[in-house]
Formats: sequence, structure tokens, C-alpha cells
Amino acid sequence: MQLDAKIPAGPLAQKWDKHRFELKLVNPANKRKYDIIVVGTGLAGGSASASLAELGYNVKTFCIQDSPRRAHSIAAQGGINASKNYQNDGDSDWRLFYDTIKGGDFRAREANVYRLAQLSGNIIDQCVAQGVPFAREYGGQLANRSFGGAQVSRTFYARGQTGQQLLLGAYSALSRQIAAGKVQMYTRREMLDIVVIEGHAKGVVVRNLVSGEVEKYAADAVVLATGGYGNVFYLSTNAMGSNVTATYRAYKKGAFFANPCFTQIHPTCIPVHGTYQSKLTLMSESLRNDGRVWVPKKPGDKRKPSEIPEAERDYYLENKYPSFGNLVPRDVASRNAKEQCDKGKGVGETRLAVYLDFADAIKRDGKETIAKKYGNLFQMYEKITADNPYETPMMIYPAVHYTMGGLWVDYNLMSTIDGLFVLGEANFSDHGANRLGASALMQGLADGYFVIPYTIGGYLATTAKKQIKTDHLAFRESEKNINDFTNKLLSIKGKRTVDDFHRQLGNVLWEYCGMSRNDAGLEKARKLIQELRGEFWKNVLVPGSGREFNQSLEKAGRVADFLEFGELLVIDALSRKESCGGHFNEAHQTEENEAMRDDENFCHVSAWEYKGYGNDPVLNKEPLTFENVKLTQRSYK
Amino acid sequence: MTKTLNLTLRVWRQKGPDSAGKLETYDAKNISTDMSFLEMIDVINEQLTLEGKEPIAFDHDCREGICGMCGAVVNGRPHGPEKGTTLCQLHMRHFSDGDTIFIEPWRSRAFKIIKDLAVDRSALDIIIQAGGYVSVNTGGAPDANAIPISQETAEKAMDAAACIGCGACVAACPNASAMLFTSAKISQLALLPQGKPEAAKRAIEMVRTMDKLGFGNCTNERECEAECPKEISIVNIARMNREFFKASFFSDVK
Amino acid sequence: MGWFIKTFTSSIGKKWLMAITGLSFCGFLTSHLLGNLTLYSGKDAFNSYAEHLHSLGVLISVSEKGLLFFGIIHVLTGLVLFIQNIKSRPVRYSVKKSAGGRTIGSFTMPYTGLVLIAFIVLHLINFHFVDKTGTTIYQIVQEAFSKPVYIIGYIFAMIVVAVHVSHGFWSAFQTLGVNHPKYMPFIRKAGIAFSLIVGLGFGFIPVFISLTI
Ligand SMILES: Cc1cc2nc3c(=O)[nH]c(=O)nc-3n(C[C@H](O)[C@H](O)[C@H](O)COP(=O)(O)OP(=O)(O)OC[C@H]3O[C@@H](n4cnc5c(N)ncnc54)[C@H](O)[C@@H]3O)c2cc1C
Ligand code: SF4
Ligand code: FES
Repeated sequence: MQLDAKIPAGPLAQKWDKHRFELKLVNPANKRKYDIIVVGTGLAGGSASASLAELGYNVKTFCIQDSPRRAHSIAAQGGINASKNYQNDGDSDWRLFYDTIKGGDFRAREANVYRLAQLSGNIIDQCVAQGVPFAREYGGQLANRSFGGAQVSRTFYARGQTGQQLLLGAYSALSRQIAAGKVQMYTRREMLDIVVIEGHAKGVVVRNLVSGEVEKYAADAVVLATGGYGNVFYLSTNAMGSNVTATYRAYKKGAFFANPCFTQIHPTCIPVHGTYQSKLTLMSESLRNDGRVWVPKKPGDKRKPSEIPEAERDYYLENKYPSFGNLVPRDVASRNAKEQCDKGKGVGETRLAVYLDFADAIKRDGKETIAKKYGNLFQMYEKITADNPYETPMMIYPAVHYTMGGLWVDYNLMSTIDGLFVLGEANFSDHGANRLGASALMQGLADGYFVIPYTIGGYLATTAKKQIKTDHLAFRESEKNINDFTNKLLSIKGKRTVDDFHRQLGNVLWEYCGMSRNDAGLEKARKLIQELRGEFWKNVLVPGSGREFNQSLEKAGRVADFLEFGELLVIDALSRKESCGGHFNEAHQTEENEAMRDDENFCHVSAWEYKGYGNDPVLNKEPLTFENVKLTQRSYK
Repeated sequence: MTKTLNLTLRVWRQKGPDSAGKLETYDAKNISTDMSFLEMIDVINEQLTLEGKEPIAFDHDCREGICGMCGAVVNGRPHGPEKGTTLCQLHMRHFSDGDTIFIEPWRSRAFKIIKDLAVDRSALDIIIQAGGYVSVNTGGAPDANAIPISQETAEKAMDAAACIGCGACVAACPNASAMLFTSAKISQLALLPQGKPEAAKRAIEMVRTMDKLGFGNCTNERECEAECPKEISIVNIARMNREFFKASFFSDVK
Repeated sequence: MGWFIKTFTSSIGKKWLMAITGLSFCGFLTSHLLGNLTLYSGKDAFNSYAEHLHSLGVLISVSEKGLLFFGIIHVLTGLVLFIQNIKSRPVRYSVKKSAGGRTIGSFTMPYTGLVLIAFIVLHLINFHFVDKTGTTIYQIVQEAFSKPVYIIGYIFAMIVVAVHVSHGFWSAFQTLGVNHPKYMPFIRKAGIAFSLIVGLGFGFIPVFISLTI
């Protein structure tokens, strides 16, 4: 299928303005005749629900948690970028655009990314107006910090809880619309299917997680903002409930899945302790501004860090990348940590960790200064590990953190199913093969506050209105499928728990499709996943019934989808015979072991089309054209 | 150093909101001291599942102390014995071998039990819907730096805004009052210039809504402040009392 | 007037009632204590103080009615709060521990309050509504405190007052919105000091009287 990204013509900087003008509008009085479903209440879904309701649409919003305020966005720590140039240090829309495109290793669309940069300033204005308590300077102006290796200070933050504060802002706007009756809020609901009628998304079918009932909701358009799929790796920094179910089931209904193999592995996380470990905790990237990463020179060195003399330490990032040192991008830092551990130089009980040492910084700046900058992070670290980072080096290891891939969308954020829009981490649109720090929050809010309110109007205004009821055949079929699926899961009564399967799937993906990949490993992973899926459907044990609050059943459904999606991820990784951003294929590296892109053959978006269970998906390519930037090889030496 | 513990758990089990519940006893064997409390329950749940029994239902999501979804009363203390810590961040190293641990859900008339340890805290959302926002539509906001806000004010607002909405304050309060939660939001918005225009209406509506939902009355026991995982201070309750006073006697809001 | 009722029946409004009436009792306790200090200077000082007091006439009866009115509000509101608060947690915890917020004063508030009502009624019967013809107030006091039961009863009651006030005092400030990191530590200390002064000041009277008989 020919993918049309619907990128407006004209100069980059004017595309969005021009497009907004060209989009058809829905008459204000008519807006209340339209129902819109929004799935997800993270930054993207929360902001979209509120904004659409303010415009006058009737919005029905769904989330898995008991409150919209608990969406995974709440966990973002570091900050949100905006090209405000308040610091007078040379920032501009253009620079933010360029950094994002380059950071994404030239695998994102120019037009989308430029729009993102253009909207970034409005987001900060909006959030401040809502009462988000961003950090301030003494004079009362907003404070900024530089983040993720950016050369300008453009990151706005609210202590180490930026995501929380932004989400609470969106949640407050949403709450206001709930009180006004413009948003119907459905919490503790899991979307299990999209209903597509005559090519248009017309509703969703959800499971009420408290009663177990399957419920059907119809609307004129559906917006998915269900977050990323990092939990396919079992261990990640994502919240436990993060899943691929919503997007994967949309994929099964005809939405293309783009670049699933673009996954981001964050270098500074607290290492795994044991097999019981349920999730990984991120330590903010800002730690690398002052901490020095090292491992012992001798493999298998079991001495305490304090007993290893300077001469026997390998500050491998500083040695290998003299100009960037400890501040190399996330993917580079992560890969190097793995390399050291593979060589047997890992530290800690599991030997899967490297040191992040603040001793020099404390000597240089004093404990107080360091405490001021990182006190809360040190405290969090100590809470989890019982080690005091002021005295002994932190131990860190990379962990899955973010997924750049997601449902394919055009410039209007509409998927290949008409009327199905996808926002936030759930879509693939803006970060290419690697996301820069503090850009996901920006994207989620740009999508929800400032893009969807326009583009959904364009769709509704140009589509014949058709009242669909939930007793429509398509809804009933979908309901039946879901009930069958649930019954099947419950009836297997095998011998292994859902978590057990999930853990194993995670191990396979982490091993063969994690920080560095090769074709043989990927082939193997594909086979292992197929086998595991086969076993799952024969041997999984899901207790309880479908007509009650049943958390094992919830998980089972999600893991069933992960088991299919995991294979898609591997297939995508196999098909992309280059290295770029978060996707590192060992066969494609420079002599200096850096990712080597193949712009000739792979300068495209891979959008996968579902072809039925057991059949290989079909690859559709959306070529990426770069008219405004020159493709360069990244180098951090 | 990692050690393992053997514990006895006494866990509240309740099928549904209207069923009777009771404490059940479980043995937790070989629990690593590096585990978090929720990971310990995961382990028990795996065991229960394999034994053909129903696992313990409990809410959780982020497991890093920020979403506010987890929580249970552990040995009489909401979120367990550690100060400023959510249940998901409580580690088993704070327990000793041979301990008996009582695990009960948040208890309040305003929070119905859904199942076992999972409770319905939507009352807290309803309080926010009553006025915990600034009425500003998307778009048209002035430049973010147009109104300077002193660092001190921003920090104070942030102290209040740090609330994760977990409901431990209600669970801890001898009167099951939601004053700390409500005051945190009222405070945050009363401190900031953006929140001022609606301060009176907000204070009155949020307090009245809180009362209607069946929470108890504050008697200044300070248990909320002592248990709050984000260490929200009762200074915020005093501020809410002032706001409510101003709103009741000096504003037009009836 | 709807707003007025709504305000004072709200959770915060009820607390204000408790705080305002409670603080006025603190004021009353202060003046009562100051007056009673005359006891320590002997019979004549005390009797003349009592006379002076009664010569205030209308003022005294207005204050008495005021105190009675406040007392009724304090007791009724307290009862309403007590009952509502019990109802707000229909199922109790099997194990509940304090995190260090509560004090003896705070968690015994309703009970010390009930003890105090009983005490005040007895106290008024003993010393206020007695037939004072042909005797002085000092004699009445002396006679009462010649009985050990009375001494013990009064000392106990004064301990209860002190405990009640130890929470009530700072709590009233908090309720009225006077909590600032700069001043609160002082208010809390002042509360403790006040409760000690009241407890000791009043509590020593029976001992003193019984010793001087
Ligand atoms: C630890 C951590 C730190 C981070 N720090 C930063 C940072 O500093 N800066 C930055 O820019 N980015 C950061 N990120 C990334 C960023 O937080 C996320 O990418 C972003 O918040 C995603 O927002 P979202 O709205 O797309 O989805 P989410 O916030 O994940 O929300 C998903 C929503 O969808 C709902 N949902 C999901 N599936 C279903 C279903 N099947 N049915 C119904 N509802 C469903 C969920 O209930 C939830 O409401 C961080 C991420 C992590 C994990
Ligand atoms: S005030 Fe503290 S205890 Fe109460 S909901 Fe907020 S974070 Fe939880
Ligand atoms: S699970 Fe999110 S706060 Fe504990």
C-alpha cells in the first residue's frame, strides 16, 4: 500500500500554519453532535481529552488505572524541552528541530519534528497557566537546565517530578471537563478492541476491570494515547500496566505498526537484583553530568570499589570518547556498558553493572553542592539499594526505557484506519530511531493540546456523519471475540503463571534484540518466541473467572499480545539491515564500533501490515526525504 | 548484603465490596531482603496461583513511588514503617526474620474495598473535580514568563503539588479525614497567581465536596503528615483553613 | 443565611467552632486561675476577690451566659465530630499504630472532654450553686477540700484539663489557620506551658487548702 503522510507543501516553517488554515473546521454548534473516544490519560490522552471537550465535543475517556492521574507519564523525572530561548543561549525552533532530527539518527519526518519544535513554547505557556509549579530563578523567571547532552539550556523542570506536575496539569484540565459533563471518564477499563465499520474507526470495546463486564462504546472518531510497549522486555522502567494491547489490537484491525524495533535503552538505571525483580528504576540522566563511569580493568575483579586503585580502573567512556566523555548519547553509553560487562568487567553481585562515581565531583564541588543537585536521586538510590552514593560509587546498568516505534500516523496523527488517531508514545512520529531526553513529554503534550484539536476537526468535517449504535454487528462480533479470548485463557489451566512466560519472553528479547543485535540472534529469538507462544496457549495458568476483578487475567491478555508483538519487533529488526539510533545491528558498524546507517536503502519508515495470525506481516515503506538538513554520521569522539 | 527472611503474613482477603472479609495467614519463605514489599507479594501470588488459589489483589503501577496507586496498611502503618516511603519503595530489609506482618487495605467509609487490598479511591478524584484546577482553556495562555513567581512561592507550591493522591493520609487519619489531600491542592493553587482568581470558589467547593463524600473531620492528630509518603505538611491544612475563612466571609461565593 | 449555616456545618466550620470556643475557655481558665491565686494569700484575699467579682453584676451574668453558650456549642459540636468521625471508618483496622503524630492529648480529646463536662457540673454544684447564706466562699472551699475524695477528684480533673488543653491550645491555632513554620514551634511550646500552668496552678489548690486547714 502506498503510504501518504499528507505532509503539507511549502517551506518547512510554514507548513503547519498553512495546514491549519486548509483544514476544514467543524461548526462550533455542531461540535456537540460529535462523540470522540480517547483511550489513555497520560500527557497525550489527558491533554487531548481536555482540549477536545473544551472545544465542545463529547468525549469519552478511558484508562486502566483507578484514576486518570496515575498514567505512566507521571513517572517522568527530568524535564520537558521547549525552544523558548529564555536563556539567550542561541536556542530556536530550528535548533530544537535539528537536534531532534539528528538525535533521532535521521529516521523521523522533518515536517512533524519541525511542528513539534514550533509548538514547544506554547506547551510551557499552557502548563504555567494551569498552575504547574516549574522551577524558578530568584527573580521569579522560569529556570532551565541542559539535559541529555544538549548544548543549550532548554529543559523546563519541576524538581525531579516534571512528568508528575505536567500530568497533574492535564489531569486538572480533564477534571474540569468531567465536572462540566463534557468528558465521561471511564477508569479501570482496558480497551481490548477497536471497532472499524466501513473503513472508519467507530468505537471501542473495553473490559470493565472491576466487574469483568465487556462494554461497548461508539463514537465518530477514536484517539489512542496508550503509551509505549517497553514492557515487552518484561523488565523496563515503564509502569507495570504499560502494554501493547491497545495498539496491537488496532494493528490487527488494520492500523500499520511502524518501526517496532526502535526501542530505547537508558544507560543509568538501578541494576537488576534477582529473578523476582518486577521493574527497573531509572536514575536521571543528569547524573552523568558529574558522575564518572568506570569498571575495574581486570575482568572478574571482586574487590570493593574503594579497594581498587586509580590505576586499575577503566574510565571507558572518557577514554574512548575524549570529547563527550560520560555525556555520550543514551544508546552509546548503554552499548558500552554492556560491552564491558560482556568482557567480564561488570561489578556488583550479578556482575551486570558499572560504577557511576561521584567521589571526584564531591572532592571538587563539595558534598553540599552535589547534594543540592542530586540529593533526591541519591536518596532514592539508597532507598532501593541500601548503598550510600556519597560514600560508595553508584551501580548502574542500562534498561529499556522508551519505545520510538508505534502505530504509523500521517501528519494529522491519523493511522491507516480512518478516524483512528494515535498520540504520544503510542505513535511513531517524532523521535526517529532514538529519542532525546525531555522530548517525550513535549511530544505528548504537543499532540494532545495543539495538534489533535485541529486535525480531528479536519477529519470530522470531511467525513459523512453516520450514527452507529453499539448493537451494530461489528460491535457484537468484537464482543464475542473478546469473550472467546478470555474464556480460552481461563480454560487452559496449565502449569506456568503468566509472569513466568512474560519473564522468559523478556529474557529472549533482552538477550537477542536488546542493545545490540545480530541476524543469527534475531532468527533464534524469533523461533524462541514462536515456541514460547505455542507453549503459552497450552500451558498458561490463569486463576479466577472473567466476571470479576482479576489481575491475572488482565496480565494474561497483555502477555498474549506481547508474545505476538515480540515477534513483530524481531521481524522489524531483522529487516532493517543497518544500525541507527536504538537499533544496533552488529554487522553494520563503523571501525570505531559506532552505528552505521545505510541511508541509501533504509532511509524509510517501516510500517507493518497485519495479515492474519500465523502469516508474516507485510512491510510497507514510507520514504523519508530530507530537504532541510544534511544527513551526517554521528561521532562523539 | 542480601539475606533471606521467613515471614508470616496475615493478609486481609475480601471477595468484593459487599462480602465479608477476613485475615488469612500465609507463609513467605526465602524472601530476599533486596525485594520490595510488592515484589514479596508477587512471590506469594505466584505460589498461590500454582497452588490453585486466588492471588491477592492489590493496586500498583509505577513501582517507584510516584503514581500513588499502591498502598496497604502494614502492621498498622499505611505504606509500612519507613518514613516518606510508598509501599512499592519499601524494601524487605526493613523486616526481620520470623516477623509476622499484618497487611490490610485502606479503611474509610469513602473508600470502598474492591477486592482484598484494592480500594476505590475515586472520591479523591471527585474532590479535584470540584475545583482543583485553573479554568484556562487550551491556547491563548500568556507567555510563561509574563508573571514572575518568586522562587519561594514556587517551591512552596511544589511542596504541596508533590502529593501523589495515594490516600494514605485518609488511611492514617484516626478520623479518616481527607484534609491533607484536599489542602495540598487548594494550597498549591492558592499560592500561585494563576490560581488566585478562583481561590474562593475552589476552597468552598472542594471542602464541601470533601465533606459530602463521607470523610471524617480533622482533629489535628497529625497522623496524615507523619505517614504521607511525600511528607506533605499540615501547614497546608492551616492554609486551607485560611482560604476557606476568606472565601466564606469575604467573597461572594455562597 | 444559607451560606452561614453551610459554613458552620462544614468540617472546617465545626472545627472553627471548637477552636473559638476552646480558646475562649483558655481565656476563662486564665482569668479563673488568676482569681484563684488569691487563695494562696489566704481567706480574706479570696473572699474579697469573690465579692469584687459579684459586684460586677450584669457583666458577670453576661459572661456566665456566654460561657454557658460556648460550652454548649463546644460540647455539642464535639459530640457531632466524635460521632461523625467514628462513622467515617465503619470497619476498623485489626492492627493500627501511630506514626508519631498523635499525642496523649490528641487521641483522648473526646474522652477527656466528657470527663471535663462531668467535672464542671460537679464543680458548679459544689461551689457555684451552693447556698452561700451564712458562710463564705472560702469556707465552702475549705470544707470541700477537707475530704480526701475531693482532693483526689480535683487533682485528677486538673490533670485531665491539662491533657485536654495540651492538644486543644495549639490545635485551635492550627484550625484558625495560624500555622507558619516560623511561629508554630513557639505556639506548640506555649500550649504545653499553658497546660502545665493550668494543671499545676489549679491542681495545687486542693493540696494547699488541705494543708492549711
Ligand atoms: C522513568 C521514566 C522517566 C521518563 N522521563 C522523561 C523525561 O524526563 N522527559 C521526557 O520527555 N520523557 C520522559 N519519559 C518518557 C515519557 O514519560 C513517556 O514517553 C510519556 O509520558 C508517554 O506519555 P503518553 O501519554 O503517550 O502515555 P502514558 O503516559 O504511558 O499513558 C498511557 C495511558 O493509556 C492508558 N492505557 C494503556 N493501555 C490501555 C488500554 N489497553 N486500555 C485503556 N487504557 C489504556 C493508560 O491507562 C494510561 O492512561 C520517561 C519515561 C520513564 C519510564
Ligand atoms: S497528602 Fe500525602 S498521603 Fe495524602 S494523598 Fe497526598 S501523597 Fe498521599
Ligand atoms: S506503585 Fe506507584 S506509587 Fe507505588
